[in-house]
Amino acid sequence: MNTEPNPYETEWIARQNSLPGEAIPWMRRLRQEAMERYRASGFPTTRLEDWKYTSLKPILQKGFHFPEPSCIGLDPSDLDALLIDRRDMPRLVFVNGTLSRPLSNWQQLPQGVEIASLATRLAEYPEQVEPCLRARPTTPDHGFAELNRALWRDGAFVCFRQETRMPIPVQLLFLSLPSSVPVITQPHTVILVEAGAEGQIIESYATLGDCDHFTNGLTTIFLQHGARLNHLLVQNESHAAYHLATMRVQQESASRFVSQAFSFGGRLTRQDIHLQLGGEEAECDLDGLFVATGRQHTDFHTWIRHDASHTTSRQHYKGILDGHGRGVFNGAVLVPQSVRETQSAQVNNNLLLTNTAEIDTKPQLEIFSNAVQCTHGATVGNLDPVALFYLRSRGVDQEEARRLLIKAFAGEILDRIQPQSVRAWLENRLAF
Amino acid sequence: MNTMLEIKELCVDFNDKNILRGVNLTIQAGEVHAIMGPNGSGKSTLVNLLAGRAGYQVTAGQVLFQGEDLLPMQPEERAKAGIFLGFQYPVEIPGISNALFMKTALNAQRRHQHLAEMEAMDFRSHTRKMAKSLGLEDGLLLRPVNVGFSGGEKKRNELFQMMILQPCLAILDEIDSGLDIDALVTVASGINALRTPQRSILMVTHYQRLLNDVVPDRVHVMMDGRIVLTGSKDLAMELEEKGYGWLAGAGQ
Repeated sequence: MNTEPNPYETEWIARQNSLPGEAIPWMRRLRQEAMERYRASGFPTTRLEDWKYTSLKPILQKGFHFPEPSCIGLDPSDLDALLIDRRDMPRLVFVNGTLSRPLSNWQQLPQGVEIASLATRLAEYPEQVEPCLRARPTTPDHGFAELNRALWRDGAFVCFRQETRMPIPVQLLFLSLPSSVPVITQPHTVILVEAGAEGQIIESYATLGDCDHFTNGLTTIFLQHGARLNHLLVQNESHAAYHLATMRVQQESASRFVSQAFSFGGRLTRQDIHLQLGGEEAECDLDGLFVATGRQHTDFHTWIRHDASHTTSRQHYKGILDGHGRGVFNGAVLVPQSVRETQSAQVNNNLLLTNTAEIDTKPQLEIFSNAVQCTHGATVGNLDPVALFYLRSRGVDQEEARRLLIKAFAGEILDRIQPQSVRAWLENRLAF
Repeated sequence: MNTMLEIKELCVDFNDKNILRGVNLTIQAGEVHAIMGPNGSGKSTLVNLLAGRAGYQVTAGQVLFQGEDLLPMQPEERAKAGIFLGFQYPVEIPGISNALFMKTALNAQRRHQHLAEMEAMDFRSHTRKMAKSLGLEDGLLLRPVNVGFSGGEKKRNELFQMMILQPCLAILDEIDSGLDIDALVTVASGINALRTPQRSILMVTHYQRLLNDVVPDRVHVMMDGRIVLTGSKDLAMELEEKGYGWLAGAGQ
C-alpha cells in the first residue's frame, strides 16, 4: 500500500477551515467528500487507458504552492492584448486565482445577467449556487478535478436568468503572474443559463511573462430547457505552464450549446470536456484547435453522452503539431440502449509540420442503441507539397507559403467565430 | 533582340527515368512559342522544371533566363524574376481566398521591386477590370483558391494571376485543355492581350485550335525528350492533319 500522503494533503489540513463556504455545512461536506474521492483516486497515471499518452509526473515532481492572496499592482494596459474590447464588455479578471476588482467590470449589465466571484456569491446567496455546486457528474471526475472541488478558492459565477438575451459576450480572464515560487491556482467556475435564456462567454487563461505555474481548472455549465450558450475557451498560458482543465456541461431539453476551444499555450496541458445531452432535442456543436510546438504536449479529451432521444452532437477538432510537439485527441461518444434517433458526428484533422511532431488520435464510440446515426473520421497529414509549390511559383516565399497554408488549415475553425472582433483578436493571438 | 530563355542540351531525370534527353530551345523577348507533341514526350517535365518544381534531376545541360543561370534559383525567386507557370491542373487551396493569395503574391513581387505594398482596397480596384476582361465574377475573388471552380474558371483564374503578376516569361501548360469553344476564345484573347514586345510566352498544347487564335512565332515538336522539329505556325496545321507518327525517329 502506498503510504505516501497525496500531494496537497498538507494544504487541505492547513486551509480547510478558511476556504469559501467553510461556515456553510453542506459546502463543508461537499469539500470533504471531494477530498475523500481525491484521496481514493489521486492523480491519474499512464497505467490508465485514458492517460496512456499523457504523464502528469512532471506536475507532481515539481511541487506547486498555493498563492498567497496578493495585491500585486497590475496596470490595466497589461491586459490590452488579453482582453477583446476594454470599454464596454463585462468581465471578471482573476489574478493568481483572486478576483481583481479594479481590472474587472460588471457595471451596466442588462437586467437578468449576473456575474460575480463564486466565493462572494456563495457567501451572499448560497441557495442560488447550491444546486450547481451539488450537481453530481454522471461520470467520475479525475482526481485533480476532485482536488479542485475540495480546495477551490474562487472562480466566476455567471447566471443568465430566464428568457434573458445577452447581446455581447461576458469575458472571464484567469491570469497568472510570476511569483517567487511556482503556484497552483484552482479556478472553479459555474455558468448557469436558465430556461429560454441566451448568452455568450469567453473564458480565457493566460500568463503574464514566461513563468511556470499550474492551473487546475473546473468549469461547470448548466443549460436549462431551451437555453442557448456560446462558449469560447482560449488557453494561451506560457510555454512553461501546466494546465489541467475539466469542463462539464449538462444540457436539458431543447438547449443548444456551442463550444469553441483553443489551446495554444502550456508545457503540458490536458482539456477534458464532458457533456451530457440530458433532454430531448438538446444539441451541441463543439469545435476547436490545439497547437503544440517546441516541446509542448497537448491532450484533448471529449466525452459526449446522449442520454435522451432526438439529441444531436457535432464535433470538429483540429490539431497543429510542430517541432517536437505532441498532441492527443480522444473523442468519446456514448449512446445508451434506450435512446433513439440521435445523431452524432465527430471529425479530427491533424497537421504535422515536422517529422518529430506526433499525434495520437482516437475516436471512442460506445453505441448501445441501434436507432442512431454516428459518424467519425480522423486524418493526419502534412502540408500539401503541391499547394506549397503553387504558392511559391507565384513568388510567395516558402516561409510565408507555409504560414498561409497553416492559417488556411486553422481557418476552417477560426472562421466560425462570431463576432468578427473576437475572431480578429484570436487570430492576432495566434503566432503563425 | 534580347534573349529571354536559352535551354542547352538539357537532360533531366524524374523518378530515375530519363525524361528529357538533350533539349535545345531559345526564346527571344516578345516571341510566342508553342510546344506540341504526344503524351509522355516530356513537355510537362520541361515546363515544371522551368518553374522550379521539386523532384526533377538535371543530369546535363544548362538553362539561362535573361542570361542568368536559372537552375539554382528557388521557385519563388524565379517568380519574382518574372517567370510564370500557368498550371495544367490548377491547385485547389481550401481556406485561402483567391484575393488573399494574389495580394500576397503581388506584394511579394512589389517588395522585391522595392515598391510599396498594396492595400486590400487598392488591390481590389486594381484587379477588378482584369477579372472582368476574363469574364471572372467578382465573387470568385473571395472564394478559396480554385475550390469549386469549373474547369474553365480554373484556367481563366491562371490567366488572371498572370495579368496581375505581369511576368516576362509566361509558360502556359495546356491552358486550353478542358475548355469549351467560348472559354477558349476568352482565354485566347486574354493571352493576346498580354502579348507585348518585351514579354515571351511558351505554350504547351495538344490542339491546333488555340494556335489559330494565339498565333505563335515558332512551333516545336517534342518527342521522346527532345525537340525534333521546329517550324512556323503552319507546322501545327500539318500536325493536326498527319499526327506525330511520321516524325518517329526524327532528330535521332
